Amino acid sequence: MEKHKKILEYTLSSLLRRRYKNLAIITVFSFIVAALYSILFLTHSLKKEALTVLKEAPELIVQKVSGGRHDLIPTDYMKRIQEIYGVGRIIPRYWGYYYDAITDSNYTLMGINGTHVLHSNSKDNENYPSPIPLPQGEGARGRVKDVFSDENIKGLKLLNGRMPSNRKECAIGKGVSDVRFTGIDGEIFLIDSKGKVLTFHVVGVFASESAILTNDLIVINKDDILELFGMPSDRATDIAVEVYNELEIPFVASKIREILPDTRPIMKGEIIRTYETLFNWRSGVIFTMFLGALLAFCILAWDKATGLSAEERQEIGILKAIGWETGDVLELKFWEGIVISFTSILTGMIIAYIHIFFLGASLFAPVLRGWSVLFPPFRLIPYVDLYQVFVVLFLTVIPYVASTIIPSWKAAITDPDTVMRG
Amino acid sequence: MDIIIKTENVTKIFNPGMSDEVKAITDVSIEIKRGEVVVLKGPSGSGKTTLLSLIGCITRPTEGRVIVNGKNVAKLQERFLTGIRQKTFGFVFQQFNLIRSISVIENIMLPLYPTNIKLSAIKKRAESIMEKLGISNKKDFKVQRLSGGEQQRAAIARSLINEPEIILADEPTAHLDTNLSEEIMRIFQRLNEDGKTIVIATHDPFIYERQFIQRTIEMRDGVVKNILNKNHDV
Ligand SMILES: Nc1ncnc2c1ncn2[C@@H]1O[C@H](COP(=O)(O)OP(=O)(O)OP(=O)(O)O)[C@@H](O)[C@H]1O
Ligand SMILES: [Mg+2]
Repeated sequence: MEKHKKILEYTLSSLLRRRYKNLAIITVFSFIVAALYSILFLTHSLKKEALTVLKEAPELIVQKVSGGRHDLIPTDYMKRIQEIYGVGRIIPRYWGYYYDAITDSNYTLMGINGTHVLHSNSKDNENYPSPIPLPQGEGARGRVKDVFSDENIKGLKLLNGRMPSNRKECAIGKGVSDVRFTGIDGEIFLIDSKGKVLTFHVVGVFASESAILTNDLIVINKDDILELFGMPSDRATDIAVEVYNELEIPFVASKIREILPDTRPIMKGEIIRTYETLFNWRSGVIFTMFLGALLAFCILAWDKATGLSAEERQEIGILKAIGWETGDVLELKFWEGIVISFTSILTGMIIAYIHIFFLGASLFAPVLRGWSVLFPPFRLIPYVDLYQVFVVLFLTVIPYVASTIIPSWKAAITDPDTVMRG
Repeated sequence: MDIIIKTENVTKIFNPGMSDEVKAITDVSIEIKRGEVVVLKGPSGSGKTTLLSLIGCITRPTEGRVIVNGKNVAKLQERFLTGIRQKTFGFVFQQFNLIRSISVIENIMLPLYPTNIKLSAIKKRAESIMEKLGISNKKDFKVQRLSGGEQQRAAIARSLINEPEIILADEPTAHLDTNLSEEIMRIFQRLNEDGKTIVIATHDPFIYERQFIQRTIEMRDGVVKNILNKNHDV
């Protein structure tokens, strides 16, 4: 015990002795680790957040398809679906995208207060259906809009003010509020499909905590959205279908396809998979950066592995000559590698955490901007995947420690006389 | 008196088979008895340091056997050699081989770090040796701030810290003035009286004239030329 304590002490004094060199290594190492962890934290949190929200999403969504494209769905389809055994509530959803030329940005518009709710055993009135813009076609933006059940993101105040209850009222996301320079009691102008200006009274603003979901969102009355988009009153964007027994969802889906051949039922499981693919693809861009950082790390490790400085070699020779065993030298180098890599990893992890969760991944903004014009200046809820943390840990600590030990080991098993001469 | 070190037809070739091949010593057979003080003398390049390194197990012979305490170390695996180095030898290197940038006392304590002796005990030991060698006032100096003579004494102090049976000193007085050389030799003499075996490589006549030196082995061009017994044997 005493022995290991002294070797460790000597390690620390050795590290201090070469402090400039070691500080340089720690700095480079930390930044590489910070980059790796930033990427992992960011993609993981985005994915996690999206999937958490999706959990609350309807089990089954029915879209109408014409010519292979998503089309408005006739609301009387609801009656046909209702006839299928095992189906619960059926809710039409109204949503779409709106390009605002003045601010050169895209909003997501959503209509609520559906009156078309068909319900077989109605207990409560579903005021806030969950519209999920699906990742497909030009509408594929990988966005999730399901901010209305407070359980989604626990402990966060999501809305300042209230949701619209009358016509010409709206609740808007923080991003919209910012680009339009307006807030509660303010007004928003939107141009409808015929070129007419519609004015909405802002009754609620979504809190910035939910920005990842609501930043570009405008929630208005369902009838307003029909007017704005010029949709026929007997059409919805899509239909959310509740199925009592989760196991029957595939059956209900195939039944719907059978009786309504021009529709496409989408199961939540599929959506989640799509989102996962999408997020994986998104992180693909960043993954390239990830690889780049890893490569930089390898260069660092390689550089260490290929050479001991003459001074380090001589020191090993001396230690051996005065009675240190090979194992003692390796222990010294092992501690050295451990101290350096853990210091770097801890520093890097803290930098990454601050970068992603407090500074809103500002360094990645250029990469992510293509995601949406109104990409929120978000503050992600910190989700850290321990598995990923350990993967990076293993991918860096082990090679680094190995690259510290191996050349020393080679020197330590050579005649001290030869090694001392350099 | 029993034989503590023995070399049998030892040859050392550096860089064998390469263009810079050097035959440092050839067919050297010597015996050193326990408790003896032996001087290796000879001109520069005659193989003194090489022979000391072979005896001290920090390099291996190309041919022949080196027997330390009855054990042939020539073919021993490195991991067995380290133990022998730690327990048996105190080596004073010609080039000192102190570790730069750490303090003198740390250098002196270093051989005992990988043991279970308490740091405070090692420190005490180091301080007392430094006291004897007159470098206590340089205790916390970095090695490179010391004069040649001070470094030499630090190197000697380090070789004594593990209380070795055999002290191998390569030109231990090369950087010292007469007074200091005198002091060092007195220390070696005292160590010898305590039963230590001492082998000194030197071409300093001041050393091999000393009374307590029992034998001088003269080397030339890598071979033993002459062994002089001073008949002070007890
Ligand atoms: N590691 C080595 N690699 C190559 N040649 C070496 C090595 N060590 C010693 N030699 C050569 O071996 C010969 C003997 O060297 P050695 O150091 O033993 O001489 P020495 O008697 O100690 O000389 P000095 O009095 O100058 O210290 C020299 O020619 C030297 O060049
Ligand atoms: Mg020499």
